[in-house]
Amino acid sequence: MRTTIPIIVAFLSGLVLALAPFFREDNWFGGLKQELTEWLIIVGGFTLLLGVVSITRVNWTAVTRRKEGWGYKVLTLVAVFAMAIPSVLSPEWSTLFGRADGSIYDWLFVNLQSPMMATMFATLAFYIASAAYRAFRARSVEATILLITATLVMLWRVPMGEWILERLPGDIPYLLNTYIMGGANMAVQRGIIIGAALGAASMSLRIILGIERTYMGKG
Amino acid sequence: MAQTEPQSVFRLDRINALILVAVFSAAVLLYTKWAKEGKPLFLRKIPGLDAVEEAVGRATEMGRPVLFVPGIAELDEIETIAGVSILGRVAKIVAQYDTPLTVPVRYPLVLAAAQEVVEQSYIEAGKKDNYDRDTVKYVAGEQFAFTANVNGYMMRERPATNIYMGAFFAESLLLAETGNAAGSIQIAGTARPEQLPFFIAACDYTLMGEELYAASAYLSHEPIMTGGLKGQDFVKMIIVICILVGVALAIFGYGNWFIDSFTAS
Amino acid sequence: MGFWQKLEQMDRRWIYLMVAIAVIVPFIVPADLPISITPEAQMVFDAVEAVPDGSTVFVVFDYYPSTIAECEPMARTALRHFFRKNCKVITLSNIPLGGPSMAEAVSRSVAEEFGKEYGVDFVNLGYKYGYVAVMTGMGTSIESIFPTDNSGTPLSELPLMSKVTNYKDISFIFEVADNSTADYWVSIVNAQYGVPMVCGTTAVGAPKYYAFVAARQFLGLLGGMKGAAEYEILIGHKDDAVKGMGAQSLVHLLIIALVILGNLGYFLGGTGRREKLG
Repeated sequence: MRTTIPIIVAFLSGLVLALAPFFREDNWFGGLKQELTEWLIIVGGFTLLLGVVSITRVNWTAVTRRKEGWGYKVLTLVAVFAMAIPSVLSPEWSTLFGRADGSIYDWLFVNLQSPMMATMFATLAFYIASAAYRAFRARSVEATILLITATLVMLWRVPMGEWILERLPGDIPYLLNTYIMGGANMAVQRGIIIGAALGAASMSLRIILGIERTYMGKG
Repeated sequence: MAQTEPQSVFRLDRINALILVAVFSAAVLLYTKWAKEGKPLFLRKIPGLDAVEEAVGRATEMGRPVLFVPGIAELDEIETIAGVSILGRVAKIVAQYDTPLTVPVRYPLVLAAAQEVVEQSYIEAGKKDNYDRDTVKYVAGEQFAFTANVNGYMMRERPATNIYMGAFFAESLLLAETGNAAGSIQIAGTARPEQLPFFIAACDYTLMGEELYAASAYLSHEPIMTGGLKGQDFVKMIIVICILVGVALAIFGYGNWFIDSFTAS
Repeated sequence: MGFWQKLEQMDRRWIYLMVAIAVIVPFIVPADLPISITPEAQMVFDAVEAVPDGSTVFVVFDYYPSTIAECEPMARTALRHFFRKNCKVITLSNIPLGGPSMAEAVSRSVAEEFGKEYGVDFVNLGYKYGYVAVMTGMGTSIESIFPTDNSGTPLSELPLMSKVTNYKDISFIFEVADNSTADYWVSIVNAQYGVPMVCGTTAVGAPKYYAFVAARQFLGLLGGMKGAAEYEILIGHKDDAVKGMGAQSLVHLLIIALVILGNLGYFLGGTGRREKLG
């Protein structure tokens, strides 16, 4: 019973949504699809609460047990609630509430969260440089081809590099765009995309039919 | 008053896609049936998955934990479901070896699913008492806050094995590079072509594209699961043949009708 | 340990320092670099130009604040391009964290340049959970998925939205994404509802989408900051992306130099020779 009902629900909803593109929308089947879609959005919204409960429980336990680094956990909890509580309160009570311009949420988002996220993303430049230095070795013929191609594409994607390439014989930027990006790259990407899409479709079918149940805790 | 012809409930203009769906489903079901009947189905070796057990064994010997990241996408992403399914298999091996496991997640629904899966794996391994509910923990909803937390964990706890299976984005290299710096054995799998080069550069084994979806079936060693894979391969063969026929017809100038039969109206 | 061996085992912190210098210097000493236009960026410009003046379009903010440097110049330029053509713009986002706020801030600031009015010339629908459900649901009714706009105003009170029911009323989609939502805009909205679209994405995501451009599912593609810079030049309004090209150029050249040095260390330091000898 614990798994039968979820499997039936997964089968029915999966079947409706999988068949929906083959039915017109202005009839009962289209209505059913739209109804399920709206349910999905509503149910999904509620699941966000699960995250708040988990993060609070895990961090609160660490604080009460004075685990190593518990001070940081206090900061995490303060940050979660400082951002969440004012954002869900009604802006009619105060302009500091809600998520509009001038609210606490907006101030924290614009001045703290957004720059921190951009900073983390920017660290990728450092990691990529370090990974390229260690991993890009001409160990074999294939690795050497990869290395030369990557170098040319990197040069082509920036103005200073283009300036260098234009001084070399042959129209290298055109060749790169046509044969590397629009040729070899595209062929490989298509192969991976088609394979991955079939894999995803097969997995979806296994889930809809209840063959694959690992995701619900059943082997 | 002129009467209009009643419109069909079906989208007849999409019959080509429906045929492909039907052929695909039939192939998967047929191979699954054959697998159930005990017909032997060959699966090629996937070295990354064969390495999972070895990597967990290494963690046990070193007395260090295993880190499993089931991607950073929501549960409605099929890659995440694949990641969670693989987690179930890995958790069972981990439970058998009594090795600590940590699973950081980014979405509440993934948290609920992953907790359920890991608990069940511990039960199946007969180690229910060893299961800790905080093995799977929600870390942060934001991509880089999540990454910072996982990277911090790697540098502090130095897990012996890091397994990344699911949908990954810009954080792929941040995670894999940090794991590399921490000296962990790393196995990754994703269907995102744009992230594959990063994993290949920084991990010991990488599952590419559909290998990720095949992983759960591969690790399960259950014939019924491999049926789906064979069905998928059969349809892939049909697609390859169609591509070759299309190319040949296009080269000789007879390709238009063939190509049009595959296009959406 | 010889020089080449030391070079091969260089501490990664030296590399970090070099990258930091390469990023900072071009902002202190800016250089006006000539930027060539790739065919894919030209296709984006041409596709937007071909949208009839005054049509209603979607500009989708499917990127996180972390990729603002690459993605925001694309969104900003797209808005300028559409407003210049007097198009009605509907913005939305499938990114919960920051997506709706960025759509609001960017669209309002660009609208101000063109004297456009909220609710009449542009609307921000904001965010709803579950992008596959959102994209599918809007095919039947946008209002059933977004009953209100980002600030809670019912769509029925916004004049622009009274003329818009579903994708049939949308002439064009300009997707700016740093993640896989672009794939779903193609497979759900373009393939099933036939709405023409273009995509702007990060440099790392762009190679994947060449296949979509070749199949005409995307009518053009902007890849990374370079793509954004090309689009800025095409509409004749140089902005942040063009300014960022100096730093990006220098870091690319640095990485190439590091790869060459790393290989020299590998071969001359002995590791390469040892590997070859087995």
